[in-house]
Amino acid sequence: MSSSRIVAAVEIGTGKIAVLVGEISRGRALNIIGVGVAPSRGVMKGEVVDYRTACEAAHQALEMAEKRAGVRIEEVWLAQSGGHLDAFYNEASVNVKSADNTVTALDIASVCDLAKEKELPAGRSRIHEIRRPFRLDGRAVPDPEHLSGRRLEVGYWIVHGPESKISDNIHVVGGYHLEVRELVLASLATGSLLTSAEERAQGVLVIDIGKGVTDYVLYRDGHVLATGTLPVAGDHLTNDLSIGLRVTHAQAEMLKLRHGRATTLTRDKADKVWLNGDASFGDRQLPKMAIETIAAARTLELLEVVRARLGTAFVAENCGAGVILAGGGAKLPGLEEAASRVFGLPARRGEPPGWVKEELRDPMFSTVLGVFQFGLRTAHEHAVPPRRKTGLLSNLTKLFAVS
Amino acid sequence: MNVSDDQPPPPPGRSWRSIRQEVKPLAMSRKGRRRQLAAWAKVGALSLFAAGTGWGVYAVAHSWSTDRAALATAVHSELVRDVVLITDGVLTRDWAAGVLALPRPASLMALNLPALRDRLLAHGQVRVAVLTRNFPDTLVVTLQERTPVARVQAADGSGSPRQLLVAKDGVVYDGLNYDKTMLAGLPWLDGIRLVKSGDGFEPVAGMADVSALLSTAQLQAPHLYREWLVVSLARLAERDEIVVKAQDLPEIIFSRKRDFFKQVAQLDYVIDAAHGLEAAPVLQSVNLTLEGQVPVRLQGAPDTLAAAPAAPAFSLQPSQRKPKREF
Repeated sequence: MSSSRIVAAVEIGTGKIAVLVGEISRGRALNIIGVGVAPSRGVMKGEVVDYRTACEAAHQALEMAEKRAGVRIEEVWLAQSGGHLDAFYNEASVNVKSADNTVTALDIASVCDLAKEKELPAGRSRIHEIRRPFRLDGRAVPDPEHLSGRRLEVGYWIVHGPESKISDNIHVVGGYHLEVRELVLASLATGSLLTSAEERAQGVLVIDIGKGVTDYVLYRDGHVLATGTLPVAGDHLTNDLSIGLRVTHAQAEMLKLRHGRATTLTRDKADKVWLNGDASFGDRQLPKMAIETIAAARTLELLEVVRARLGTAFVAENCGAGVILAGGGAKLPGLEEAASRVFGLPARRGEPPGWVKEELRDPMFSTVLGVFQFGLRTAHEHAVPPRRKTGLLSNLTKLFAVS
Repeated sequence: MNVSDDQPPPPPGRSWRSIRQEVKPLAMSRKGRRRQLAAWAKVGALSLFAAGTGWGVYAVAHSWSTDRAALATAVHSELVRDVVLITDGVLTRDWAAGVLALPRPASLMALNLPALRDRLLAHGQVRVAVLTRNFPDTLVVTLQERTPVARVQAADGSGSPRQLLVAKDGVVYDGLNYDKTMLAGLPWLDGIRLVKSGDGFEPVAGMADVSALLSTAQLQAPHLYREWLVVSLARLAERDEIVVKAQDLPEIIFSRKRDFFKQVAQLDYVIDAAHGLEAAPVLQSVNLTLEGQVPVRLQGAPDTLAAAPAAPAFSLQPSQRKPKREF
């Protein structure tokens, strides 16, 4: 019997639904064998608002991916995003129990359990429990076992969301008779793909600007320091253009893609662009500066909100690797400059690692590729050391096992 | 947060993994329902395959355990070199080998023992047959044979008479290898009707009683038994009487309702008593069916004489006269 399994990474976004089918063999080797993309419907700001329509779109993408892969999907790893998600940090500490102050596996398990045992509001479910480094008598240590100290501390970044809205996303996949085996926060997935271990150790901020939501993740010392999701993204920019220029939403989207900028470059108010550009009836000229001004204002506001949400967690000095911009919104010209201005750090567009094939290097696949990367890596990085048996019987067993 | 060790921790929130993922068929898309049906079909096919495989394994195992050729291969048995006969009768090894007619060469494990046993049991002389494989190359045949208690005359296919033997259980069979003197001493059966059954005849009814009478006579009064020529069962069914014809006594009537030992003793007494009389009457008939007295009929006496009061009727008072034989 083959040891490989067919897994689909699925992102149900506001603008599109992306599916990648991968064959995972020997637990960690990934081979992407199928792609499916469909325009998203029934999803608003990352939340399913029309189940039937969302199902149709998602199932279309799943079926396309299955057909292209030529295999049957066995399980799904689902990217989770949306303004309904929230997170908090909780930490706990314990006194080291042994008489010689040596940290044991039991101490580690106890402090981890305590740090995770924070009650959530009713109707909310945990999505991630991301551990930060242990601290033994105030010093950060990756693995405190067998070290000497009096006080062991650890903290967890706990991501949670309303159970009903998480269920909606899961049931969209379930409607295709598939089971969701992993749920991965979209920002973690993107950050996992676009940053290297070195960058995460230096400190890096990843901002994924999609159509309906903006996800961000801040790394420091190789660990996740904060994550978040804003219900503001490219669609709002389009909306502002539509209102400000009195054009339709589709025309505003076209103008954004053609002339939108995150910073104002045009200085001449007389510089104008055609609305449709096809010289058709009703086509008219619009001031280019107005387009850039509206887009830049909204983009700057978006970036400012991200910075504000990060609060004290963001310290420019601790973010040596700068800001990485991802998602469809990152295609907006001048965004790096705007981000540099807001965060006071160098910013660049995220580039997938070299192993990603050319046809998958489009930003729309960053999250689903990241789902694979995070899913395959996380089990090893964030795993809590297993609780070991202690006591007389266990010691006797060990004694006989050795002899 | 600093949590002391003696404080119970607050209950943790639910993980997303506790969310129920099953979707009702109505909430599924057509593609989803198609996938679900395909999954069920796959499960069904796998179940059928598993059941078929299980049945196949069972069939192979069963065949392996019952197929003699396979068993022969399995145990590497050798060819049959010897047939050993153990019997309580007179049949010989050659006879057994001839009846078995083992194929040559025949592997010991390949032999169909039940079929061979049936071949032996087809001969009436064989009552019980047990065949045993004695590895590596010997077939042991253990027989229990029937013992003849009487002879009977029957016509064969050509109409010529032939002598058959009757065992205690009524089975009629051709006797093989018996001592001719022993056979000549057996009484003939009369008053029976042989009914054909296959190659042989139906068992004769009532032979258990006849056998009991004859064995009693043979053991307790061999001098009388030697004189017996014919045993008639003509009246057995209707009157429970066995009529024996002896050399010097044409009719001895026994009742199967009475103890044969007593009847034989009475017969011996009557014959002795008759011989002791000065007139030396010749006995024509002795009736032992009655309790208390034995009516006899003498040669030359009119039939009515036997019924008359003056006719000799031996009262059974053995104590008045010393018997010749101790029973």
